[in-house]
Amino acid sequence: MTAKLVVEGLSHHYPDEYTGVDVHALDNISLEVNEGELVSVVGPSGCGKSTLLNILAGLLPYRVGSATVDGVQIEGPGPDRGVVFQEHAILPWRTVNRNIGHGLEIRRLPREHIAKRVQEFVNLVGLTGFEDKYPHELSGGMKQRCAVARTLCADPVIMLMDEPFAAVDAQTRITLQEELNRIAMATKKTILFITHSVDEAAFLADRCFVFSARPGRLKEIVEINIPRADRIWSEMNANAEFIGAREKILKLVREEVSVATEE
Amino acid sequence: MSDAIAKESSAEGAFASLSVAIQTRIGRQRLRKIILGSIPFVVIFVLWQMNTAFEWLPAVFIPPLGDVFGAAITLQEDCVGIGGALTMDNSCLLTNHIFSSIGRVILAAVIGLPLGIAFGILAGMNRTVSRYLEPVGVFANSISGIAWIPLAIVWFGVGWMTTLFIMLNTIFWLMFFNSMLGVRSVAKVYEQSVLTMGGSRMDVIRQVYFPGAMPSIITGMRISLGFGWRALIAAEMIGGDSGLGFMIFVSAEEFKIEEVFLGVIIISLIYMATDRYLLAPLEKWTVERWGLIWKPT
Amino acid sequence: MQQRNDAPSLGWRINKLLQLDAMNLVILVIAVYIIWSVISALIDNPARYLPSPIAVAVSSVDMLYKGLLPSYFGDTLVRLIFGSTIGLLLGIPFGLLLGINRTVADMFHPIMNFFQSVSGIAIFPIIVVWWGNSDKTIFAVILYTAFFPIAFNVLSGVREIPIRYISAARTLGASRYQIIKDVLFPGAMPHIATGSRLSIGFAWRAVIAGEMLAGRQGLGWMIFTGQDADNTAEVILGMVMIGVTWIILDHYLLRPMEADTIERWGLVQR
Repeated sequence: MTAKLVVEGLSHHYPDEYTGVDVHALDNISLEVNEGELVSVVGPSGCGKSTLLNILAGLLPYRVGSATVDGVQIEGPGPDRGVVFQEHAILPWRTVNRNIGHGLEIRRLPREHIAKRVQEFVNLVGLTGFEDKYPHELSGGMKQRCAVARTLCADPVIMLMDEPFAAVDAQTRITLQEELNRIAMATKKTILFITHSVDEAAFLADRCFVFSARPGRLKEIVEINIPRADRIWSEMNANAEFIGAREKILKLVREEVSVATEE
Repeated sequence: MSDAIAKESSAEGAFASLSVAIQTRIGRQRLRKIILGSIPFVVIFVLWQMNTAFEWLPAVFIPPLGDVFGAAITLQEDCVGIGGALTMDNSCLLTNHIFSSIGRVILAAVIGLPLGIAFGILAGMNRTVSRYLEPVGVFANSISGIAWIPLAIVWFGVGWMTTLFIMLNTIFWLMFFNSMLGVRSVAKVYEQSVLTMGGSRMDVIRQVYFPGAMPSIITGMRISLGFGWRALIAAEMIGGDSGLGFMIFVSAEEFKIEEVFLGVIIISLIYMATDRYLLAPLEKWTVERWGLIWKPT
Repeated sequence: MQQRNDAPSLGWRINKLLQLDAMNLVILVIAVYIIWSVISALIDNPARYLPSPIAVAVSSVDMLYKGLLPSYFGDTLVRLIFGSTIGLLLGIPFGLLLGINRTVADMFHPIMNFFQSVSGIAIFPIIVVWWGNSDKTIFAVILYTAFFPIAFNVLSGVREIPIRYISAARTLGASRYQIIKDVLFPGAMPHIATGSRLSIGFAWRAVIAGEMLAGRQGLGWMIFTGQDADNTAEVILGMVMIGVTWIILDHYLLRPMEADTIERWGLVQR
């Protein structure tokens, strides 16, 4: 199992946007994500999850520590790290097809090649029939599927997801989680996703990184040994491994939440 | 030794907390925008000074900044004091021009705004009337204020009446148009409800159309004063005998470029000050308040 | 007893006719003609103060015959198109480039706002000192007048594009040029459309004023010299031409294009 993403000793400070007071967002984070793994990052509000994701995406520069993908230092955004944003970021003035193909278009690949790949991913995420629709004609869940398809189609080394299902309703959310599981099985992509929801983290992740309250430290890593094919919501409530892992993560997060609220 | 360290760190601490205090008070984002936004101005200022020092472009093209301010003083030096300035004594050249222009603005606003609003509301209330008057308004607006200048000179000769007429004309038609559109955007049902409650025509105007058209009217005021000011300056240049427009035109003919620069700066400052500190807040205060309470159909 | 009519009455027919949209314009034109002629006939020195519509029409025929009217019209239009096209071609990329980086955009916003509010007409005397009463001067004024509104509008439009669209393009590996092409330009389209219309409008006013002040041939010059030569009919003719030209330009070309663009691009920006 090769490590695709290696983070060592990453710390981050920034001055607050409105008051100028220094905020210690991340403290000495060290973690690894292996090839083909789906890992989640959970923690109370303000624990630095989004900061971490932005740093890994290359959208936020860092000074202390190191973060490498396939051995190469992260120095800015790039197609090796695909990002699915919390609020859909598919371009409103492009159809589903053109959005999904955008990454390949940027790399100036030949049109027939792009068309073929795009169709593969349209089918993979279940948007068949909607290829020529514009985002404003899609539901929230469909927009996020399109966003996931876009990221995957560009074939990144690792896919980073920032609370991707936070903005959809509960029913859609469950469906999308099962979809993501299916996609992870099919593509064997290395995925790191941030979430607030302990349920979601336990359901999807092979390993779950639990962060502490601010300043964000890696509190504990919880392993969840359930084969991908067995991760179906209707069967999870009978799965002892799942229940155990969920309880454990919940307890850890609760501890941190009370620490945070006591400040 | 710990005393010295304590002192140093307390000075640091004091600076840090002052900095935080300022940032909290003004808001870090606003402060950042203010500082960033002033950089181009500072750069221009520096370039200007350097241009004068190194003589990249001859002084007749870009006058030294000092000369521009000097021109203000020169123009006013014979002035017999504040009393003279206020009574527009002939010796106070600069203030005379400024007051002339501003006086025309005020006069044109006082006459033009109410007239335009009144006619606009009336036109808007009566569907038939607006069908006929709207094309007139569209056409009148299309003949921009500036194109009226030669005709105004024919009628009134070169002088203050022409300049006043041009600004009045510009303001009137813009206010007319905006008020008319504002009234038209008020649903008929509001008028009907007041009438069926026993209200008179006047009541309808006061209680339905005037408040209802208010956002358009206020926005119209801001636009018409902006365009009116520009038209006034043009009118003073072409057909006036006093005022800021006249002053910069004549100074240009005499190649007194520092006076031209001075005039242009004053013209922009007056416009920006009025728009930013009078009209924009007025619009924000009324239109936003009204917008929260009511939106046109 | 109720009247039974099989055929619509004359009164009803006239009423229906009156309600046709074009009808009110026809009536308006007739009414204006009548009122105008009456006032013209009543005042003291109509040739000087308000020539009758007929006098103006005669004058226009005369000028058409001499080929002057089309020539002036053409001159003015050429200046407008030339100056505003270059202004737009410079202003749009300028606004887009400034918008790539939020910090740069914030930096330039106030000064662009400042220059946008210093009208081209106020700038005119400065340019005249530099380059005299020439076509070059008028062109410079038109360029200035057209550049700032569009640049400012585009800059404002780009600033309003949600950052996540730009971030998304960056994470896909887009180059700076690709970000402008794929995100900034489409995203700012509504502002580009509105800003273009405003720029051309300002440029139109600047052309007329510039011709008057710099004494170069064109519609603005025509009405200015008409007044000087006491040829008021020519003045009114020129004013009418200016009004009609702008109406056609604005209502039948610019506004529809703007509305069309906003509908296409603005709607999809939800």
